[in-house]
Amino acid sequence: MQNWDAMNDDDFRMEVRRFIEQNYPEDLRFLAHRPRFNVIKPWLMLLVEKGWSAPHWPLQYGGMGLSPRKLLIFMDEQGRWGVARQFLGESGTVQLGPMLIRFGTEEQRQTLLPKIRTYETIWCQGYSEPNAGSDLASLTTEAVIDGDDFVINGRKIWTSSALDATHMYLLARTDKQAKKQQGISFLLVDLATPGITIRGIKNIAGTTDYCEVTLDNVRTPRHNIVGGLNQGWTVSRSLMGFERINTGSPRRAEFAFKRLEALARERGLFKDAGFLDRYTQLGLDLADLKAVYMYFADMVSRGETLGPDLSVLQILSSETNQRITEFMLEASGDLGLTVSAGEDDNEGVDALTPFLVMRAVTIGAGTAEIHRNIIAKRILNLPA
Amino acid sequence: MTNKIVNATDSPPPGVTDKDTESSSEIREQLALLRDSANRFTAGDAHIKRARALRGTRPGYDLDVWRKMAKLGWLGTLIPERFGGVGLGCAEMATICEVLGRSLLPEPVTAAVVLAGGTLLYGDNEELKSELLPALTKGQMIPALAWRENVHHCDFLAVDTRAEETPHGVRIFGAKRLVVGGVFADGFAVSAQSRSGIVLYWVPSAAAAPGLSFRVLPDGRAIADLTLSGVEVPASHRIAGPGAAITALARAFDEALIMTAAELLGLSTKVFEITLDYLRTRVQFDKPIGSFQALQHRAADLYIQQRMCRHALDEILSSVQKPDLHPDTRGALASRIKARCSDASLRITRDAVQMHGAMGFADECDVGLFLKRAVTLSAWLGGAQVHRRRYAKLALTEMAS
Repeated sequence: MQNWDAMNDDDFRMEVRRFIEQNYPEDLRFLAHRPRFNVIKPWLMLLVEKGWSAPHWPLQYGGMGLSPRKLLIFMDEQGRWGVARQFLGESGTVQLGPMLIRFGTEEQRQTLLPKIRTYETIWCQGYSEPNAGSDLASLTTEAVIDGDDFVINGRKIWTSSALDATHMYLLARTDKQAKKQQGISFLLVDLATPGITIRGIKNIAGTTDYCEVTLDNVRTPRHNIVGGLNQGWTVSRSLMGFERINTGSPRRAEFAFKRLEALARERGLFKDAGFLDRYTQLGLDLADLKAVYMYFADMVSRGETLGPDLSVLQILSSETNQRITEFMLEASGDLGLTVSAGEDDNEGVDALTPFLVMRAVTIGAGTAEIHRNIIAKRILNLPA
Repeated sequence: MTNKIVNATDSPPPGVTDKDTESSSEIREQLALLRDSANRFTAGDAHIKRARALRGTRPGYDLDVWRKMAKLGWLGTLIPERFGGVGLGCAEMATICEVLGRSLLPEPVTAAVVLAGGTLLYGDNEELKSELLPALTKGQMIPALAWRENVHHCDFLAVDTRAEETPHGVRIFGAKRLVVGGVFADGFAVSAQSRSGIVLYWVPSAAAAPGLSFRVLPDGRAIADLTLSGVEVPASHRIAGPGAAITALARAFDEALIMTAAELLGLSTKVFEITLDYLRTRVQFDKPIGSFQALQHRAADLYIQQRMCRHALDEILSSVQKPDLHPDTRGALASRIKARCSDASLRITRDAVQMHGAMGFADECDVGLFLKRAVTLSAWLGGAQVHRRRYAKLALTEMAS
């Protein structure tokens, strides 16, 4: 077994770069959307074959055993080449795997991790509900013990990639008497179980990426609980290090900025002093966002614990993304509205799709307002 | 620099490299020690009180304070040991400037030591350096740089002042404006056009005195305008000849931009702390006003601005330390941070006034002092718009062509 973590940083970077450049499908670079599984599958299978599908898992579970420092290199290189987010945002390898390693039983690790790593099972995350969004702890999906099973009833919504998933990990209330956060358990469910209905929800960008999942008397064996009864909140909040700085990466903003540049070249906008001023401002915003990101990335590299100030990165990153795509829409004018969505469109740069897609970044990973609440209360110690 | 913006795909990724983490933690420790010492110097609000009391007075500076800073070695931070300095880098100087900025210290450390001192240091007259720099580090000689002229744009290359050759040196004709520190300077570094390009001369204050007039900046500090009507200066006082003068000015200018940014960050951080205290204690509608979400989110936004300045400054300080840095890259970095900290400090100080309500509008409230210092320093050496354009020119030229 290759010990990737023992490699010198530069050699490792070059090895990763070479592999990506030689193998990643050209037509899937810098996608505006998260691709469907069957589109990205050939690439994921190459990663599996190479042993690279779970880079941050320990070697003993089939991961690459990368330290945070090497992981950042690994992710940087994917971002640099515009590798689809399917891997980075994938719920099984990035989210569930580490949680199982931290909280799962040995049996869960032995049976579940190999299938996650090889994409034999594909996982989606059942957290949000119609009446539990920002206030997630008010969720009402209920799981009741009945013999050897939990019986689950409720509705999950905004579940990304549920149409491609085979399994779901979810939060359900297992003690109605307990305080909000304390009566919740973390359960695993096979989506083929009777009683599950999945409905795709079309988003404003025109794609059907997220879903509503209805659970009607769905049975899952009692051993499919992670972290013990009523420990679900702790398990779901346990993501650490790079798993958390992922959504704050400046790569998407950088990509948006490059598209803005392409648009400007195409339309000759750089001759316009007004355009250049705002373009420069955004370029500086991006440069300073990178500085903030690197501060947190360096913390992760040194193995330090991230605090609530990570919300600063989350807000900056998402809002910089939005500002760039908003300006791009404005700069493209009516012509930008008529090009069809699609990255390799020869008719011109599509300004509309990125603008619409980026509406979600200040919502999905915790709304920008919730992150401002976190800063105000937990960092600035402002009174309640 | 250019690559970073223009062509991210082909640039080396910003990821972690094999840098020596042990030595970087050592550097962090040293900077923390320096910060502690500077914080002790500025403890309490004595300097803020002084800044208030000295408003509109002349010279408006305290030489005792200046000498104390010399004793601490701060004035020689950037000056090599062979000229009596400490020979440290921009990161150390910025640490000091940031703390001084917090305290609203009226003495113009950046203008005298970094801008004027840097012009001397990066010039090509070794003899003059040996004469002036040790005195500068000891606090016995305070220089000022007279570079600004009466043109709209803020560019140290826009020089109309003339240096006409005489048998023994030059005679200088021209008008310099807004010389920070000019009120108590012992001499002026003056940029002028010679037959072969821009040069820099040292004009002792005795020779310059007849042409000095004074005005007051928004923060209450006096500054000088300097008219030179044929002042004669010996050849030995040439700080830098053609070519070297531009190099020296560029470097001193960039370092002064970075230090000004550090001062702006310092004062923004301090006024934000003052404002947070107010939000926690001021009660209206039976609650501390800091419990209202409108104000909480406003405060969170200011905090984000402050953190962005902090991390951008830290990144830039470690980049400018690199020995093989191209001047254009340094210029782009300096303009980037000056633009960021100018914008952010104006926003933070304006909002500090707003969140203090009617009290914030009262002259007796200190937040107004912070606002006015931010207004002053933001505009000095060029404001945010000036520096965004300079950044575009230096870092984004490939793009525009």
